[in-house]
Amino acid sequence: MSDDKTTHFGYKQVPVEEKSSHVRAVFDSVASRYDLMNDLMSLGIHRLWKRYTIELAGVRRGQRVLDLAGGTGDLASRFARITGPEGQVVLTDINAAMLTMGRDRLLDQGLAVNLLYAQVNAETQPFPDGYFDCVTIGFGLRNVTHKQKALAEMYRVLKPGGRALVLEFSHPTSQPLAKAYDLYSFSVLPALGRLITSDADSYRYLAESIRMHPDQETLRGMMAAAGFERCEYFNLTGGIVAIHRGYRL
Amino acid sequence: MTPASPIPDAALAALETAINHYIALDPEGAARLGPLAGRLIALEFKGFGNRLYFIPGAEGFQIYGAYDAEPDCLLRGTSLALARLGLSRRKEDALFSGQVEVEGDTALAQRFGDFMAGLEIDWEEQVSRLTGDALAHALGSRLRAAGHWGRRSLDILGLDLKEYLQEEGRLLPTRYELEGFLDEVDRLRDDGERLAARVERLHRLLQTGSRAGCGAGQDEEGPPC
Repeated sequence: MSDDKTTHFGYKQVPVEEKSSHVRAVFDSVASRYDLMNDLMSLGIHRLWKRYTIELAGVRRGQRVLDLAGGTGDLASRFARITGPEGQVVLTDINAAMLTMGRDRLLDQGLAVNLLYAQVNAETQPFPDGYFDCVTIGFGLRNVTHKQKALAEMYRVLKPGGRALVLEFSHPTSQPLAKAYDLYSFSVLPALGRLITSDADSYRYLAESIRMHPDQETLRGMMAAAGFERCEYFNLTGGIVAIHRGYRL
Repeated sequence: MTPASPIPDAALAALETAINHYIALDPEGAARLGPLAGRLIALEFKGFGNRLYFIPGAEGFQIYGAYDAEPDCLLRGTSLALARLGLSRRKEDALFSGQVEVEGDTALAQRFGDFMAGLEIDWEEQVSRLTGDALAHALGSRLRAAGHWGRRSLDILGLDLKEYLQEEGRLLPTRYELEGFLDEVDRLRDDGERLAARVERLHRLLQTGSRAGCGAGQDEEGPPC
């Protein structure tokens, strides 16, 4: 266990105040080829995980959606098409390089009217209470230093009746799959990282940070502790990824 | 949330890409989707119980096998009836004969059907992007002329062939026979479901009857327990 002054960065312990700068360095390094790497690493399955997130979000025309750690805007691009001109989608990321990539990509898709961008730390969100109908964080929560704080903020900015979705790597539910997955993420992933972004360390960090992330039940408990109700989770691809959903009622 | 669709998400993602690619070939048609942006249209396939959700946007649809929200309009019918609605020029047949039930915003359902049936692809515009307008137009005129001739010939050939296969060879059913057959299949399925419900009801009646009979402690003349 870490004491109060340090936190985990992958398997390493680093001072709490330094974690975000380490995470920033990782994403600065991979930003330009993030989409390509996602496709290669997940064999394209991340698109299906994101589709499932959209299905569970059930966002309607005219609603307001906050996409935290939105990276290159995969979720925001779909949300923006659903909410339409009367709605609003705010794409945020703590990392300027990723956010710029996301903004360029969405502009290239012709999406502009209802999209806003902000460089935001999920732990301290600059939005009023009860503003959004839906808040999502896709593959971002595990990089946040104080996860409980981020969940509390997600709860705060939601309207009553609003829902939060956390799409994140989780823990495989079966032993054989877990073994194969370990082999894949500690051997194949860093090798792919070296080939494509010349940066094996960043991808080793990704693999390690996934192992350090709370498992399905723990995260559900954390969401309930943040105030969310009707918390549930959906395992995808044998638990390699899970979507947690909770409502502010 | 509706039960998970038996249609795999990967197949829906592929379908979405294919349909949107098709829609992109008809930019004016795609523009007609604009006002429908963000509306949620559900198709429910009777007999299977699964749904497809369409969400129009400026440049095509998002298609999902489940969507955790109440649709703006729901079109419910057998697969065949839903296909007829989209493909046939006379959708009214399907809508008014009750083969497709519409719940919610019927105007939206109508516009959705119109859109699906009315997609026309401007091949000339597509070619002009590669070759420039003049050449594309010349090519287009030739192709149109050839197309008209071809279509006329094909129509005649098609009619002849259809007549031969249906009337002379008796190898294929006519449209009326086919529709009759499909209606009978639908009716048979409904009858089957009704029969199952009836058997179930009788079974329940029998059980409650026999329990009542035993509980009352009737004499030998009562029903056997």
